[in-house]
Amino acid sequence: MTHHRDIDAGPPDEYVEAEIQRLLVEDPAVAEQGITVVRRERALVLYGEVESPHRREEILRRVSERFPDVPVTSDIGVIRAQAPTEIEQLP
Amino acid sequence: MVIRIAAVGDVHLDEDVVGRFRPALEELPECADVLLLAGDLTRHGTEAEARCVAEEFGGLAVPVVTVLGNHDHQCDQVPQVVKVLEDAGITVLEGNGVVLDCAGGRLGIAGVKGFGGGFAGRCASDFGEPEMKAFVRTTTDSADRLGAALRSLDCDMLVALTHYSPVPDTLAGEPLEIYPFLGSYQLGQAIDSAPTALAVHGHAHAGTERGTTPGGVRVRNVAHPVIKQAYSVFHVGDQLDTDQVSPIGQSGSQRSWS
Repeated sequence: MTHHRDIDAGPPDEYVEAEIQRLLVEDPAVAEQGITVVRRERALVLYGEVESPHRREEILRRVSERFPDVPVTSDIGVIRAQAPTEIEQLP
Repeated sequence: MVIRIAAVGDVHLDEDVVGRFRPALEELPECADVLLLAGDLTRHGTEAEARCVAEEFGGLAVPVVTVLGNHDHQCDQVPQVVKVLEDAGITVLEGNGVVLDCAGGRLGIAGVKGFGGGFAGRCASDFGEPEMKAFVRTTTDSADRLGAALRSLDCDMLVALTHYSPVPDTLAGEPLEIYPFLGSYQLGQAIDSAPTALAVHGHAHAGTERGTTPGGVRVRNVAHPVIKQAYSVFHVGDQLDTDQVSPIGQSGSQRSWS
């Protein structure tokens, strides 16, 4: 795993975005490739979907732990796992 | 002849997910002849996570056929993962195929994990540093084994199962910059080298469901975050009831656009 440099307080920059993206994949406690990090003026927003509420909480916890000065908000959902109600016909 | 195929990929099982899919999976015999898993069954590819997959997807009333994904390789425990899955009755494909006797005919399934490389005109080339050549040759070798497996099967209907995508169509929604890490055109070329009826893949969580190969084979991205249900069901054949686009179970919710 890459060593993450200390981040000064301030607006999130492109390197922070990149480091968070890699953290989400390379941190064994997260291991998510499907989370999108979007840099906004005042905060980084995490989008995507995961398989359990626990994983969603873990993502926020790990990111906040590693980058305590970076404002991060999350819009991560838990993927539904119900049986399908329709089929697709492929003639 | 109609064969009913259920498919999902990228379920990323661990202890926190066990049991979530099972109620829907119990309904499978009513709506499908087989369940295909398009790789990334686990988070890190550990034997313990594979046991979660075995618990969730083992012992079903329909045959289960899978390929592994990149996550299933993370901890270098592939032989152990494969053994746990096979002990649970799940068929694991990698460069080979299987033929299942279904009510509608003999279904042949050929599978590989596949690899990246990119798509025609915008892909990596077998040139330069050893690392780049190894990357491209991994893709080429995988596609060659998929093509050979597809062409070797004696069956009534042929399906290709991969983790990486064979076409860019089903990646729409992903950043263009990462397409070369999501699939390769050589997989599509392999699929088009045989009379394939359907190609199923996962891996692209932000992609879209439908696409076709240059040869006209239907491609479906069944990554769980894309289909947003336990599995998708495809009825493939030449005698479909065109009126039958109807509910197949009691659970779940209706889609407003259907």
